[in-house]
Order: sequence, then C-alpha cells, then structure tokens
Amino acid sequence: MQVTLIDSPVANVANIARALREAGADLRVTADAAVIASAQKIVLPGVGSFVAAMTWLRATRIDDAVRLATSRGASLLGVCVGHQLLFDVSHELGTTPGLGLIRGEVRKFEGPLPVPQIGWNRVRFSKNPLFEGSEAFYFVNSYAAANVDSEIAQADYGGSFTAAVQKEKVFGVQFHPEKSSGAGLRLLRNFVQWT
Amino acid sequence: MDVIPSIDVLQGNAVRLTGGQFALLTKYGPPEEVLDGLELERGSRLHVVDLEASRSGRPVETEIVRRLARRDLRLQVGGGIRSLRDARAWLDCGAERIVVGTAAAESPDFLQQLVDTFGVDRIIPAVDVRDGEVRVEGWQRGASESITTILRRLQALDIREILATDIRSDGALRGPSFALYRQLRAMTPLRVIASGGVASVHDIVSLSRHANVSGCVIGKALLDKRITLAEANARVATPNAIPERVIPCLDVRDGRVVKGTNFGNLRDSGDPIECAIRYEKEGADELVLLDVSATDEGRRTALETVRRVAESIFIPLTVGGGVRSVSDFRALLRAGADRVAINTAAIANPQLIADCAREFGAQAVVLSCDVKGRDAIVRSGKESTGIDAVDWCKRAEALGAGEILLTSVDRDGTNAGFDLELLRAVSGSVKIGVIASGGAGRLEDFRDAIETGGARAVLAASLFHERRLAIGDLKAFLAREGIPVR
Repeated sequence: MQVTLIDSPVANVANIARALREAGADLRVTADAAVIASAQKIVLPGVGSFVAAMTWLRATRIDDAVRLATSRGASLLGVCVGHQLLFDVSHELGTTPGLGLIRGEVRKFEGPLPVPQIGWNRVRFSKNPLFEGSEAFYFVNSYAAANVDSEIAQADYGGSFTAAVQKEKVFGVQFHPEKSSGAGLRLLRNFVQWT
Repeated sequence: MDVIPSIDVLQGNAVRLTGGQFALLTKYGPPEEVLDGLELERGSRLHVVDLEASRSGRPVETEIVRRLARRDLRLQVGGGIRSLRDARAWLDCGAERIVVGTAAAESPDFLQQLVDTFGVDRIIPAVDVRDGEVRVEGWQRGASESITTILRRLQALDIREILATDIRSDGALRGPSFALYRQLRAMTPLRVIASGGVASVHDIVSLSRHANVSGCVIGKALLDKRITLAEANARVATPNAIPERVIPCLDVRDGRVVKGTNFGNLRDSGDPIECAIRYEKEGADELVLLDVSATDEGRRTALETVRRVAESIFIPLTVGGGVRSVSDFRALLRAGADRVAINTAAIANPQLIADCAREFGAQAVVLSCDVKGRDAIVRSGKESTGIDAVDWCKRAEALGAGEILLTSVDRDGTNAGFDLELLRAVSGSVKIGVIASGGAGRLEDFRDAIETGGARAVLAASLFHERRLAIGDLKAFLAREGIPVR
C-alpha cells in the first residue's frame, strides 16, 4: 500500500519512515505540494515547535495540499506535533491556527506533574479502525488537546487528555508509534492497510 | 487511597516528634495557621494526635479539635483514649472517628465496648510496630501479646481499617515501611492506613500501589513542604497510568558490548545490535548505550554503532559517553539517538546542559551522574570532583536536564543491590525522573529501587547480558508486586 510521508524539516522523518516501511508501507517521502495533494494515504510527522511546523506547512503550501487531499477522500495520520497540527488552534507561544481538520484546541499541560511528559503512558482506545484495547505508547509532549469530539483514545497525565483522534479518514496520535515497539508498529500497520 | 494530612498538637501548637521522643520536637505554630498553608480540600480527612493526651491518658486539646471540626474536615483523632468518656469527648467535639492505640492492643473488652457504643465505623485501632513487636503507651513499652493475636482479635470485632505505624520510620523521612505493609497483607485482610516515613510524592505513589493500603498519613514531609497535597492527590488518582521502565544498558567499546565491575575489569558481552534486538523483543522499554572507549578512533566507531543500533530498534535510545559539546550532542541525535546523556563535560561546563536543552529540548537531555560515596565523579569513575551528587542533580535540573541517570560506582557490577539511600536523596530533591543504575542483582532490588528509591526507571547490564535475568520475568515480577509495567 502506497503511503506518502511529508518530508518536514520540523520532524523526525527518518524514524517514522523506517517504522512505516517495517509496517508494510510502500513509502514515498516528499515535500512536493502537488504530489501530496493527489496522494491517497498521507502521514504528517512533527516534533518540536507547533509554530515552526505550521509556518513551514504554510510557506510550502502543503497546508492547502493536505486539505485538498483529505477533501478528495485521502486518509491522513498526524503524529505528535503532526497530530496537533490537525486542530483548529494551538496555544503554544501565543495562538496559532492549525489545519482545522479536527475541532479543538491544543493547550499546555496544567497541573503538578513535570512537563514535558517523557515516557510511556497507558492509552485507552474506544472502538476505531486504528487500534484496539489499552496499551502503553511512548510520549514526548508538553501540549495536548483534551475532551475533543473526535477523540478515539485518552490517557492521563495529571488529568485526562486526548491521545488519538479520528474524523472520518483523518487520524492523529499524540504519541510516537515509531518509538512504541510492537504496539506502535501494530497501529501503523493498521493505518497502512486500512482503506 | 486517601492521602491524610496529619498534625500532632501539643500545648496549642502543631508539632512533630522524631522517633516518638518528646525531646526531639519541631514546632510549626497554631494548627489553624498550619492548615491554611496546606490547602486542604473541603471534606478531606485530617489526622490529629493530641500528644499530651497520649502521654497523660486524658483528652487535653479538645478546643483545638472542636475548632478544626468546624472547617468541614473529616477528623480522626487519637491520643491516649482509655475510656468511653474520653472517646465520647472527642466525638462530641466533632471528630468523625477516633484512633485507639494502647487500648486496641491491651484491652479487648474496652475495644468491644467502643465498637458496641459508637459503631465499628467510628473506631480506628492503631497498631504501632517496632521490629515486629507492637508498642504501647506512647511507644514506651512492648504489648503483652503478639501482632498476630492482636490483629486476629480486631478482625473478630469486625474492624475493617487499622492505622499501622513503623516507629523506626516515623518522622525520619527514610521511607515508609513497605515491608511492614506487605507483611500485614499476608497476615490479615484488614485495610491499612500507612503512617510514618513518607518523605516524597514517590513514597505516596508507592503506598497507593499496595492493595491493602487504604490511606496514607503524611505529617512532617507536608509541613516541611516537601510534598504538596495537590501533587499527591493528582499522582494517587492514577498511580498506574504511567508504567515504570526497565532499561538494559550496553557499554560499548570498539564496536562490542563490554561489562566490568566498579567501572573496571572489562569483559566482552556480545554484539550491540544483536543485544538491542533481543532486548526490545524481551520487552525493554528503552535502551541506554554508553560509549566507554577511550580514544578518538573508538569514538568514531561508537557513532557508527549508535547508527546501526538505532536502525534496528523501535524503542527510545539514550546514548552517552564522551559528549563534550553541543556538536557532539547533535552528532549523536543525527546518528539516531533520541536522548543524549552528558557527564564529565557538564561538570567542567554546566552551561552545556542549558545550551543543549535550549537547542534540542529538555526531553533530549539526560544528566549522567556517577557517584562514589556521595560525590559526583568524572572520567569513567577515575576522578572525584568534591561536588555533592544531590546538589549537582538539582543544579542540572534547574539548567534544563530532562532526566537523571544516577549510577552508583560503588555498586556497579557488584549485584549487591541499588544504593537506595542515594536514590531517595536524589529522587526526593528533583521533579524530573531518576534512572537507577549500579548494583542490580536480585528481582527485589529492582522493586526496591522504584518503591523505596523513587526511581522512574531501572537499569542493568550484566544481569541481562549474561542471561541471569530475563526482562520479561523481571517485568512479570514487578507487576506482581503492584508496580505498573508496559
């Protein structure tokens, strides 16, 4: 199954690429907006700063390409900051609009636990095509969405937050499946094979 | 598990005794002022001990209890309750429950009367233990019967919850007596309110993982602001959400895994890529790779090893050894490390921690702290720095380190157990996670490093390399002991 991985400079593209290949993807890594616009299955990676990642998407017009592709029925998986980019807005360093594909806002963790969250955390999935059951995944994040309509998985970090979302064919996971051993590869395999 | 703040009162003040001795007393001021500083939620439980009453055998600070009860708190009051009249005095003041010590151990008839008169839900028998013996009369003397007999009698009365204190750990902040609670669980179905020894939020989390522990009394650590109730309650709400990690460590030299004792006597332990793949398959949560080569040639080989290991696993990889600059740090990240550990260079130049944290994020920066005695040491264990390890770890956290890899050089490769005192000292002083390293031998060592030591991850090398312990078996053991694992 062909998968188009967006070659963002604000991401750990090599790691995700390796995991997607391991999960059976026929992988195309590109930053060409035209190619992305006509793709059927897209992965949007991201680590670090939401603002930097969104700025790059806008500058390259990949933001429009992703919106166009999903409006034509392409499936999309956002990973970590890539997941956050799917939302309406993030409050990291001011307020920045995201792609607006998923209703909701991304905010900094509040509460007494140390930020960033670094490490494994148990994720509870409701029924969805991406992953079944409850399993630990690897997180590195200071920001997250919470209580959004499209939530398909929750985790707790001094309060519940959104670990994964789905709206029709658009998916997002706040954790790093590429660092989550067997569970992460299983999730990626489900995305690669899902139609 | 309920987190129950505790204040001892004496002559109108909130105080603490150490080891139950009136001579070793700390004063905290009027109880109301003390409570105002704790930010108790409405309706929470509060444990109050009238110390004068426990010494003299009659209620003294009834006015204080009356005033505290008006604050919408659920009070449990103890101190020398030896008659129905004493008990009624406290309950009339607004206490929800009374804590009965000496009487619970020594006079079964009296306890029966209390239960018959006030109901079993208003009585909490206190069992104070020292070296397996129940102590009475302000801990001054041993009870005439064994702990087993005393517990059996409480069960016969239909008592459901007791307060258990390990006298040796009370007020000493050396950690709760997890062994006592484990022992009680084997002896009795009674629920236990744990009391004594809590020094950090890790202690509270560890207690909440004991199935028979229904409450945890915290005094000194709360009053000294080592713990906040908000944090304790947040952690206790989901004590098992975040799995604790098991991390195999590959010490790599010239492309091979090596392992020694006390940082010396290196012997070959296999191919790093084969080890890495095997460990991920066995359930390792993360891998640490330390370059222990001494030459520049060796370092270039190590970078290649890092690349090949990173490409063969799908778990986080932390790499350390010989990192001297931001560009060394970057080279390791580019080679596939998720996090990089800094050691010697950070001691000479602490700013390196801050520079790397700013450039790559706190999550990428691990302080590797090697400790001999209580001193941080450098150059693979060869040189002492005269810097206190705990101070250094606190400083590294302030500079932006995301986690601490804490290695006891004295214990390294000895299989004699982790240095729990060192672990407690560091984990109780920083908010960031501590990885326990050096000395793993028995299964219980790993449990103790997490439960007592407050470590968020446990690391071992030779045990895993030599197949004396399988990661899967270790994780199954930890799970049986109530510690969440992936």
